[in-house]
Amino acid sequence: MSQLYRATAPDGLIQHPLDSMTLIFQRSSGITHMVADPVPAIIEAMAEDILTAADVAQRLSSSFDLEDTVDAADIVLARLVELCSLGLVEQV
Amino acid sequence: MAQLHHLYLAVGPARFRVASTWRQPLDQLAALYKDYPASQDGYADFTVRLEPEKPWRRYIRPSVHISGDYWLPDAAPLPLNQSLLAAEMGMNLQMALGWRRHLLLHASSVEKDGKALLMTGLSGSGKSTLSAMLAEKGWRFMGDEFALLNPDTGMVHSFPRLISLKNEAIAAMQAIVPDNRFGPLMKDTPKGDIRHIVPPLDSVNKMASTAKPALLLFPRFGYDPALRDMGKSEIFVRLTQASTNYVALGETGFRALTKFVDTVAVKAMDYQSGAQAEELIDGLWSELS
Repeated sequence: MSQLYRATAPDGLIQHPLDSMTLIFQRSSGITHMVADPVPAIIEAMAEDILTAADVAQRLSSSFDLEDTVDAADIVLARLVELCSLGLVEQV
Repeated sequence: MAQLHHLYLAVGPARFRVASTWRQPLDQLAALYKDYPASQDGYADFTVRLEPEKPWRRYIRPSVHISGDYWLPDAAPLPLNQSLLAAEMGMNLQMALGWRRHLLLHASSVEKDGKALLMTGLSGSGKSTLSAMLAEKGWRFMGDEFALLNPDTGMVHSFPRLISLKNEAIAAMQAIVPDNRFGPLMKDTPKGDIRHIVPPLDSVNKMASTAKPALLLFPRFGYDPALRDMGKSEIFVRLTQASTNYVALGETGFRALTKFVDTVAVKAMDYQSGAQAEELIDGLWSELS
């Protein structure tokens, strides 16, 4: 069974785009994260739902043109693992 | 335990009680801060304590240990002839570690037409000397160490302590500032030769006036004169490094700093002389709407 993930609830984060980077302030920890694409899009796509990496990739593909040759689910999974280590996403 | 001597100082929005075993640093502070408003109600935000490292060091090779409400465990004591520096460092320490009413940026600031120019950078960038120089050329001096950013209004509050000049900057400023505004020369301190200047009287009298931040410079001394744009990400990261209380302020600090980065013009500025810097700053200032 694929691992399920849930992002920090939107009201627990303040996102602030700068230039090529986006700031994410996490209210629960008081930590400011500086992230690049596609992290803001992943968090937005997850909303408050419990999803697999494939689910997230599916949601992203409806908003962005993802290259067919790229395994989007693998890329999303790698980012989800990183976001778990930052505390912005949790495994469910 | 021996009774400590006391002096109360009010600088901008902050009030200090400086307590010392010796009269010398308090007499020097009283002379240099004589035009500052008196704080007579005995209230202080912070206490700075200047005491001997060991009881016998009050008399034998007297050495001044800096402590207070906030202190660093590994702070090296200074000889008594550098006790004025110890007092100033003690006040900086209290602000850096304890101040919570504003987002604190390690930056110098000057004001003209209600707008503030901030300069931040590493030690040796010239931010302090540039603010002292501009203060003699029509700008209002607001501070050479900390700019206090009000998180509610976005305004910069003045914190015009004594201006701390180091090494070559001392001679450069002696050429344009009268002798009676200088403190004693302290040679071979841990920061090199140090001499303080009393800010212009007008800056002291207007210390309660705030200014809207309009331009932030990252000066770098010793390079061909040049101005460069900087990305917002780099600016934000460098300002978090330049703030001693960004983390402590939490969401309030985040909102204040992102607003600052979004609204204030920023340049990196290289220069080799005060005259070059002044020309570059005048050019940038005239372009501001």
